[in-house]
Amino acid sequence: MEGTKADRAKLKLAIIFGLGTVSLLFLFFISITVGEVSTSLPEAIQSTWNLIIHGGEAQNTAELVILNLRIPRTLSVIAVGIGLSIAGAVMQALIRNPLVDPYITGVSSGAALGATLAVLGGVTIAGLANYALPVMAFIGAATAFIFTMILAEAAGGRPISYVLGGVIVGIALQAGVTLLMYFNANQLHGILFWLFGSFAYMTWDSTLIVITVVAALTLVMLLYAKEFNVVLLGDEQAKQLGMNVKGFKRAMFMLVSALAAVCVAFTGVIGFVGLIVPHLVRMLIGGDHRLLLPASMMFGANILLVADIVCKTVVAPSELPIGAMISIIGAPFFGYLMIRMGKEYVM
Amino acid sequence: MSCEDELTVKVDNVSFSYGTKRNPCAKTLKGITINAQKGQLIGIMGPNGCGKTTFMRCINKVLKPQEGAIYIDGKDVDRLKMMEVAKLCANIPADVPDDFHLSVEEFVALGRYPYVTGIWWEGEKDERLVREAMAAYHVTHLRERKLGELSSGEKARVLLAKGAVQQPKILLADEPSAHLDLKFKLQVMQALKDLSRQGVTVITASHDINLIAKYADLVIIISEGGILSYGPPSEIINEEIIRAVYGVEVLVIREKGELFVVPLRPADPEKGNNEDPGTCEKGIVAD
Repeated sequence: MEGTKADRAKLKLAIIFGLGTVSLLFLFFISITVGEVSTSLPEAIQSTWNLIIHGGEAQNTAELVILNLRIPRTLSVIAVGIGLSIAGAVMQALIRNPLVDPYITGVSSGAALGATLAVLGGVTIAGLANYALPVMAFIGAATAFIFTMILAEAAGGRPISYVLGGVIVGIALQAGVTLLMYFNANQLHGILFWLFGSFAYMTWDSTLIVITVVAALTLVMLLYAKEFNVVLLGDEQAKQLGMNVKGFKRAMFMLVSALAAVCVAFTGVIGFVGLIVPHLVRMLIGGDHRLLLPASMMFGANILLVADIVCKTVVAPSELPIGAMISIIGAPFFGYLMIRMGKEYVM
Repeated sequence: MSCEDELTVKVDNVSFSYGTKRNPCAKTLKGITINAQKGQLIGIMGPNGCGKTTFMRCINKVLKPQEGAIYIDGKDVDRLKMMEVAKLCANIPADVPDDFHLSVEEFVALGRYPYVTGIWWEGEKDERLVREAMAAYHVTHLRERKLGELSSGEKARVLLAKGAVQQPKILLADEPSAHLDLKFKLQVMQALKDLSRQGVTVITASHDINLIAKYADLVIIISEGGILSYGPPSEIINEEIIRAVYGVEVLVIREKGELFVVPLRPADPEKGNNEDPGTCEKGIVAD
């Protein structure tokens, strides 16, 4: 092969981004055609074009639906797909265990408790009525992470302390959710709808928040892709290669948890993506984080968007929970890869 | 010796304890002093828990000794940043991270981490050094393979290549041949010897007395945190010191300038000379 290894890697990177973007664009247009009232693809493209040339002013109902419901929803699916996948890949590197997900520090249970309280209590925050649920969920997630961090740091601050701390905090908060649901069985549907994960209520405002946070945190993590490779060697080896491992890991734990918390706060608990996408991509293109992180982003966004489209179409005009759908799509695919590649690669 | 008498490592009266102020505990290292010349291969011996690994961790600043100082090339390690220490001192870890699908080439390239100036990619010089190290340790054909697919012998060679790519003045190897068969043990020790002849000071800890005796220029015997003996293997390895350090009766055979240690049986704590009816090695070896 010609060129340096870096040149070859850059070529791979260009292919990953190129294919990923083309596929996302294609899925984007499919996604804005489906919903309670389906439109045809040419109509959707025409409407989008009209919206662009009219500077975002909707001229009819179809355009209004696409502008205010479908485009923000689609963009937030892409952002959350990117966020959860990269958060998972980073968390697996930090803990040095390919079987952890971005919720490992207790953020999903914390968010669930916050969201449950919001639904049950009808919490309204002055001027932020629409945000009561995501704000409560984010507070829950952040509180859970702070508890986990206090526990973990008290026990020495090693990655395994974060795992154990997260498990303890997660179990305790999950018990709270269970009890709240048990005593408020009549309101179960509202809680469950959030717990299963859904993009149905994403507005432009929420979408912009999610996109901003995901973009900023993802960029930071991509900048440190080289460091995640070093982290795989273990704390002592990374330290003797000149890295400030402890500080790096602590900062990254916070960033990953913030990323997971924002995703979970707006869209509920979506499992699978953060665990399996990095795993799968590792099998396909290897463990170098300079390729793994971008490829996980692209793959995560694409697969979550496919899942969301399926959720909207299978039982239209009703919807399926995306948390379940992503697992149904992902599990067989992952099983196939495991059987095919497992013989070549150690799992 | 063919190497010039240049000092690379000076360990000056170093003591270390794992205890904290609130929770003190006995010292693991007590007043260790060593001067190592450039290009020497130094073998560290001693029973489990005597402080071998702790000592090696102090040299590359993974641990900070409470007393004393360590100088590499005249520089006080304590005043250096970890990144600067990493350019002076490499270590060979016991194992590779084998469940993250890193390829051999990617893993060896990690040794260049302290030198890489770009945000993401290694430069051309880094890549050339990685290629050369892979060739030198005969792992070029494995470059695309994942670490998890390698045999123990292949892993050992990959680890050496990663250490060499770091271009250290000092190479630390803690039990580099522990899981290897006889042939690979010899290959790894010979590779360390070759590195030392290229001017790298190699410090290796091992329980294999015969390997140390065969390859080391100097042997340091550590017992209970202090240096018990220090010198060329032929001068300091004998029946008495092995009994004192390991509590084992051995037979030391000297032949044509080489030295072989044959373990016989655990020594009697009373230091009596009672025959152990369960062992027959003595008869075989004595012939």
